[in-house]
Amino acid sequence: MYRLFLAVRYLLTRPINLLGMLGILLSVWALVVVVSIFSGFLVEIERHVRSASADISVGDLPPWAEWTPLERALRDDPNVQGLARRLVHYGMISRPGERPPTPPLLGRTALHGGDQPFLLLLGIDAAAERDVTGFAEWLQHPAIPADLRADPQAPLAAPDGRPRVLVGLERLQRDGLRRGDVVVLTSGRLLDGPEGGRGLQQITLELVVAGAFKTHHGGFDGNNVFVDHGVLRTALHPDRPDGVQEIAIRVRDLDGLAATADRLQRAVARVLDRGDDRAFGRVVTWREKNGQFLASVEHQRGLLKIVLVVIMVTAAFLMLATLSMMVTEKTSDIGILTAMGGTPGGVLQVFLACGLTITAAGTALGVLTGIVTSVYLEEIRQAVLWATGIDLFPLNVYNLDRVPCSLDPWWLLQVAAMAFAVGGVVSAWPAWRAARHDPLVSLRGA
Amino acid sequence: MSTPVLAAHAVTKHYRLGKREIPVLRGVDLTLQAGERLALLGASGAGKSTLLHVLGLLDQPTSGQVCFDGRPVHDLPIAERARLRHAHTGFVFQFYHLIPELTALQNVLLARMMASSMTGYWRQRGAARAAAKALLEQVGLGDRLHHRPAELSGGERQRVAIARALLAEPRVILADEPTGNLDSHTAAGVVDLMFSIQQQRGIALLLVTHNEDLARRCDRIVRMQDGVVLAEPTGT
Repeated sequence: MYRLFLAVRYLLTRPINLLGMLGILLSVWALVVVVSIFSGFLVEIERHVRSASADISVGDLPPWAEWTPLERALRDDPNVQGLARRLVHYGMISRPGERPPTPPLLGRTALHGGDQPFLLLLGIDAAAERDVTGFAEWLQHPAIPADLRADPQAPLAAPDGRPRVLVGLERLQRDGLRRGDVVVLTSGRLLDGPEGGRGLQQITLELVVAGAFKTHHGGFDGNNVFVDHGVLRTALHPDRPDGVQEIAIRVRDLDGLAATADRLQRAVARVLDRGDDRAFGRVVTWREKNGQFLASVEHQRGLLKIVLVVIMVTAAFLMLATLSMMVTEKTSDIGILTAMGGTPGGVLQVFLACGLTITAAGTALGVLTGIVTSVYLEEIRQAVLWATGIDLFPLNVYNLDRVPCSLDPWWLLQVAAMAFAVGGVVSAWPAWRAARHDPLVSLRGA
Repeated sequence: MSTPVLAAHAVTKHYRLGKREIPVLRGVDLTLQAGERLALLGASGAGKSTLLHVLGLLDQPTSGQVCFDGRPVHDLPIAERARLRHAHTGFVFQFYHLIPELTALQNVLLARMMASSMTGYWRQRGAARAAAKALLEQVGLGDRLHHRPAELSGGERQRVAIARALLAEPRVILADEPTGNLDSHTAAGVVDLMFSIQQQRGIALLLVTHNEDLARRCDRIVRMQDGVVLAEPTGT
């Protein structure tokens, strides 16, 4: 009884102990809030990436791959609902008479990718694409102004014979392009030379802006433009009318995605088998295709966790300092407690109870305030913006509607356990020191 | 003669200072009968306080025996010695050693808390508080129950310490220079109070002092010098 009673009295009469509690509280709060934002961000990023991806993609196809046999083999799979072939190529667009912009320095690509001149040209069959991705919704996104909307039924149709291009909304607006404007697509292709060498042939295409598209994935919008498959094929591979570089697939049952991808991989291998050891074609799920990007965000979350745990350990040192000071000041009490029948174990428990009480209070308050902050983060952001004009989390940078947040009970438990472990360790040392103190030293002196 | 409540037989105590061994007690024999008032007199460094700590089981002798009710207790396990100390021995020190964060009442009640579990104390908290209040009233501090040590005079603090030593109803009180830090007038009051309660309750009192006048008020005086007992009991 006396252990807890004394611990509580010591804590209540020594406000400096609040410092230790505050340290634990803040570090637990940060671990809850920052990780919940990052987890929410990860969920959003995944959703955004997912919205711009086919369920399964077939890539790394050899130049001689043909669409018809591949389509037949893939459609045989019972879980395949739709297929769309694509041509994928790099290029730059500019206004007629202007030079294409200078390429950026290596590695200078932002999250959106919209500030670099190289684009991925996706040659698509609009009708087929609608069946395998959210293509139809991308053209109808509420953020697209009416005067930049393409015809949803035939967005790449060219009744006047002039090929069309669909550009990401942000790039379109940034470049001041309007529907009907003409842009020049500059690209190139490798040609086999007459004496076995290879040469690069420049390709220039005049395209009419058909309108804008917008997915939730800013990186996709910034880096891709859509051109009609036939137009791109004619420009790049006029000699291969049945050629294909990528196939986008929609499945009926998403639960069996990985198994379906495995089956399709075998089907593609069979079609592209040339009787040697080389394997052509790579079938990947949407998650595998974007794995590196998603892993990089996950990796950042992991790094943040490490930094915040280090901050928690640092905060715990503050607690260690205040507890050690208390033990030094309380040597006289240790003497009288021993004289009154206390044991070293009892003395240890008094000071351990002090540390654990601080830890428990700091952890509980940190988790509680962390949860409240996470839940009302958007409201807090708006309040700060209203009061100070400072936007703590600019949503447009990340293409978000509100500050994301995802509270994981398992993570909350882990944070609380970590705080207790760290608090327990830093409480144990001063408590152990108190228990080892010779009571006679303090009983003899003043 | 009845079995002494507390006895030391050929007790020695050496302290090690670096490579040197310093003898503080050199074969001390001492007995304390129930209800007896014994003064342990000697100059500073004679070994009085060390003997008191050994008899109070706060320290272990290097050799020899400490017996309680005739039973050797000096080499009991630490927890058992702590239990004996709590149940049968009350300490009063020169510097009071009150816990500054607690009120006078809480300082006294602490003795009861140390003997009980949380639920056990909760069940008997009313009785414990009544006993502590009664003791504080007996030592003249009925109106200072909720004052902290910093708000009490030296004499009042020592009275709280006496009340604390008495709450567990000990059979022995070991007082180490209880008036050493008080002016003569206050000291006289504290001693009168201590002797009166000791007499009322039949408690054995071992009083460590170097005050001859105070020692003469005891039943017996034992003088110590350089770690040995010089004189055997002399009546007052």
